[in-house]
Order: sequence, then C-alpha cells, then structure tokens
Amino acid sequence: MTSEEFARLSVFVHDARKPLNRISMQAELVKMALNGEVPPEKALAALDKIISSAKDCSHTLSVMTTELGENVSE
Amino acid sequence: MLTVLLVDDDAEFTEVACTIIEFLGHDVLTAATLAEARDWLEKETFDHVLLDFMLPDGSGAHLFNELDALPKRPRVTLITGHPSVKSVIKGLCGPTVDYLVKPIQREEIEAVLSKKTKPKAPAEEKIEKHFDLLIGESPVMKELYKLISRVSKTSANVMLLGESGVGKEVVAAAIHHASESEGPYIATNCGAFSKELIGSELFGHEKGAFTGAVGRKEGVFEQAEGGTLFLDEITEMPIDMQPNLLRVLENKVVIRVGGTKTIPVNCRVVSATNRTMEEIAQSKVLREDIYFRLAVFPITIPPLRDRKEDIPLLAKTFIAEFNKENGSNFKWEESQLDTLQAYDWPGNVRELRHFVHRAAIMSDPEKSEIELPKTIESPFAQKQSTTPALQAGRTIEDVEKELIYATLEKVNGNKTTAAEMLGISTKTLYNRLHAYGDLSKEE
Ligand SMILES: Nc1ncnc2c1ncn2[C@@H]1O[C@H](COP(=O)(O)OP(=O)(O)OP(=O)(O)O)[C@@H](O)[C@H]1O
Ligand SMILES: [Mg+2]
Repeated sequence: MTSEEFARLSVFVHDARKPLNRISMQAELVKMALNGEVPPEKALAALDKIISSAKDCSHTLSVMTTELGENVSE
Repeated sequence: MLTVLLVDDDAEFTEVACTIIEFLGHDVLTAATLAEARDWLEKETFDHVLLDFMLPDGSGAHLFNELDALPKRPRVTLITGHPSVKSVIKGLCGPTVDYLVKPIQREEIEAVLSKKTKPKAPAEEKIEKHFDLLIGESPVMKELYKLISRVSKTSANVMLLGESGVGKEVVAAAIHHASESEGPYIATNCGAFSKELIGSELFGHEKGAFTGAVGRKEGVFEQAEGGTLFLDEITEMPIDMQPNLLRVLENKVVIRVGGTKTIPVNCRVVSATNRTMEEIAQSKVLREDIYFRLAVFPITIPPLRDRKEDIPLLAKTFIAEFNKENGSNFKWEESQLDTLQAYDWPGNVRELRHFVHRAAIMSDPEKSEIELPKTIESPFAQKQSTTPALQAGRTIEDVEKELIYATLEKVNGNKTTAAEMLGISTKTLYNRLHAYGDLSKEE
C-alpha cells in the first residue's frame, strides 16, 4: 500500500468509527433505560439510532471497498 | 457535582453523552468546535473538559495553552478515535491528561470524571517506619527489628554499638516505644558533662551540695522511673565516676549528691557507644563489670554501607520531610538514587540526611528536580564522585580521566603501579596526564 492509499484508508476508518462510537453510547443509554435510570422511551429512540448508525457504518465500509478496490491492479 | 465541558463535533454522540453525564450527577455544556469551546471557557468555569482530538477547526490540543492560562485549570480528558494517537499526545501533553478511546463506554466516562483532581504534591509512596521511627527493609535491619521487639519484652539493659550516625539514638527510642512501659524516655549524654557535674546529672543533688546547687534536683535515673534511660556515649564517662554508676546498677538505688537517703530506681538502661566491642575490651574506657551490667543485651547497628538497599528509602523519606517543612516539591530521579546508593556514607544515616537537606536547600525551590553537587564532601572520607561512571552522554575521555585519577588516588600517586593496574604503559599514563595539563614538562 502506498502512503497515499493508507491516508485514504485512514479517513474511511475514521468515518466508520464515528457510528460505532454512537452505537456504543446509545447502547449505554438502553442499558440505563432497562435499569430504570432513564425513561423507557429513550431506549426505543436509542435503538432506532443504533440501527441507523449500523447502516451508516456498513455504508462507509462498502464505499471504502469500492473506492479502494478500483485501484487494485491486475 | 462537576461542571463539564464536552467538546465534540458529533452532535448525536454529544447528545447521548450529555444524558449519561447528567445522569451521573454533573452539569454539562457542549461545544462542537474549538471556537465554541473558547467561548464557553471565557464565560464559565469548568472542572473537567472532555475534548475530542479531531475538531473541524483544529486539534483539541490547541486548547491546552489556553487551559493552562486559566485561573482554575480544569482536568482534561482527550477523546481520540485511535489508540495510537494516545501515545503521540501523551508525549505532547504530559501525564496530567487522561484519555478515552472511541468507542466509549459509560463506565469509562464515570471513571475519568470521578478521578480526584490531582493533589499538588503527588501522593508519596508509603515507606514503613518500624516502631514509628526506623526506616529500612534490608535483611540486617529486619534482623535488628527482631532484636528490638525481643529485648523490649524483657527488662534487660541494652548496649547499642555502632559507628557515628548509624541511628543508635533512634534505636534507643524504638526500644522504649516497643516496650510500652509506663514511665518516660529520658536521654542524656555522658560525654557532655564535666567530672563534677556528671554525678549530679545522673543521680541528682540536694540543695547546697556544691557551689551552684541552688535547689534540689532529680537525676536522670529518678526521672526515668518506670521507663527508659538512654545513656549516650557511655564510653566517654569519666572512669572514676564508673564505680558510682555500677553501684546504682547493682543495687537499684541512688543517693543524690550531697544526700544520704537511698532512693529506689527502676528503669531500663540503654547505653550507646561508637566504639567496637574489641576497642572497649582493649582500651579500658569502660570497666568490665559495668560493661556486663549495661550490655546484658548488646546490639550492633550495622553501618549504612552494609545495607545500601535502604539508602533510596531513607533519601525519599528525608526529601519528603524537607518538602513538608518547606512546602517544596522535590523528587528524586532514579539515577540520583543510584548515585546515592553507590556512595559509602562513612558518616552513615546522619551524613545522608544532611547531604539530602543540603542538596534540597541548594536546588531551585520552584522545581521538583534536586541538584546534586558533583562530589560528596565528607570529613570522614576522601571525595567521592557523585557522577556515575557509566552515564549516557559522558564522553569516553571523561570517564577515562576519572578512572585514571581514581586509580592514582588509590595507589597514592604511584604512576607505575597505576599504569599497571590500568593495563596501560607508564608512558601512556604520562601522556594522558600531560594532556590533562596535570604534569609539568620536567616530570
Ligand atoms: N533507620 C533510620 N531510619 C530513619 N532515620 C534514621 C535511621 N537511622 C538514623 N536515622 C537518622 O539519622 C540521624 C542520626 O541518627 P542517630 O543520632 O541516632 O545516630 P547515632 O548512631 O546516635 O550517632 P552518634 O554516634 O554520632 O551519636 C538522625 O537524624 C536519625 O533520625
Ligand atoms: Mg547519637
């Protein structure tokens, strides 16, 4: 991998980590709702956000494979 | 409750994080950029800043100088996306910063927020003081502690032998402490009194017993009733006073100078001397019968050079004492402790203690580093270098020069012997010395 490719990869990784971080935080919120520490509606909203973040993350990974895949030499 | 500033450009993340932080009982404000964060810092006082490393208008590290300039610097926790960033910023920001690596968990937030604000002086490692007094974990000291607790359970008289500064006085106090006796600890120095006055000091005097004896006075034997009497420098006691002392030790009664009444006394006598047992035996400074009365239980305290592993513990304690008295914050470098440990300390613990205090006094009180003088000057010994021979960054010439001089010193300047020991020719040695400018042309 060239350093330019590595730099681009790093950007993707950074973008993919963002939804993961959201997911982890929202999951904490769900835990708190189950413990009765925050209202249960919050859990529902959090789970929706988890699902959408998971999709974001997956999307980022697809874009990454496509873009980086274009440069694969035969 | 803390006031927290959360700086991160991911709105969804900050929203959930705020819910969690508020639930933990803190007030939290958010900023999405460096600019917003600066705004808040002007308006509000924060206890803690959670700072994303990557922000749209620059790195979170840019805020560090501004945070430092605040009247009350908040604690800072950097949030980074990648663990490797952590080690890079650690070098950049120093050890006072905490890190959270994304994805973050609630417990991690809880942990960084509940960490106490760093106390001004870092908590010192706890060094145990045996019997509340004695420092040292070397095998010889441990053996000494065993002796102290054993003898303290009996009423036997103890004689402490050991070089100057090894801690005889502290050991005497430790024995008293460990014996949990009812009476007091009374100390006196037998070498400090004239022949005329020592009797009065030990046994007391009646009014008018001699010129100057205005009132009645209790001697130290009476004062130490039910406790411990420490007779320091026992071998300096005038020889013609010794029969009187012997009588007291044998009969357990004193008669005050100028008096006739016998007064019963009951105390443990701990005595001390710098002389070795052989010296005492040969020099006749102490009558044999007295020796056996006083040294029912003789204890020799080893010199510091025989328990070098205790030197760092002692040095740390002495610097902590100094810090406490002077409000300073000095700390040893590992290499400095190595240097202290390499030295022989002919004046033992006292010399080490004075040396540490002197070095602290000579160091910049605003800094934590202690400046060690290049050499340790001791009236007891020839100068010993505090510069370790093997230190990164010293030139080979320097080390070589030092080795040559040390060898010459050892052989009293005999260059032929020195050259032999160094494995170089005498000619080479002369050349070196000429190069150092230490030999005149003729030599
Ligand atoms: N093990 C130890 N732990 C802590 N401090 C010590 C220890 N040993 C000695 N010291 C300290 O070192 C100094 C010298 O000790 P001390 O006065 O007891 O020596 P000494 O043997 O009585 O000397 P001298 O024969 O010169 O009277 C004191 O300040 C004492 O507190
Ligand atoms: Mg002493």
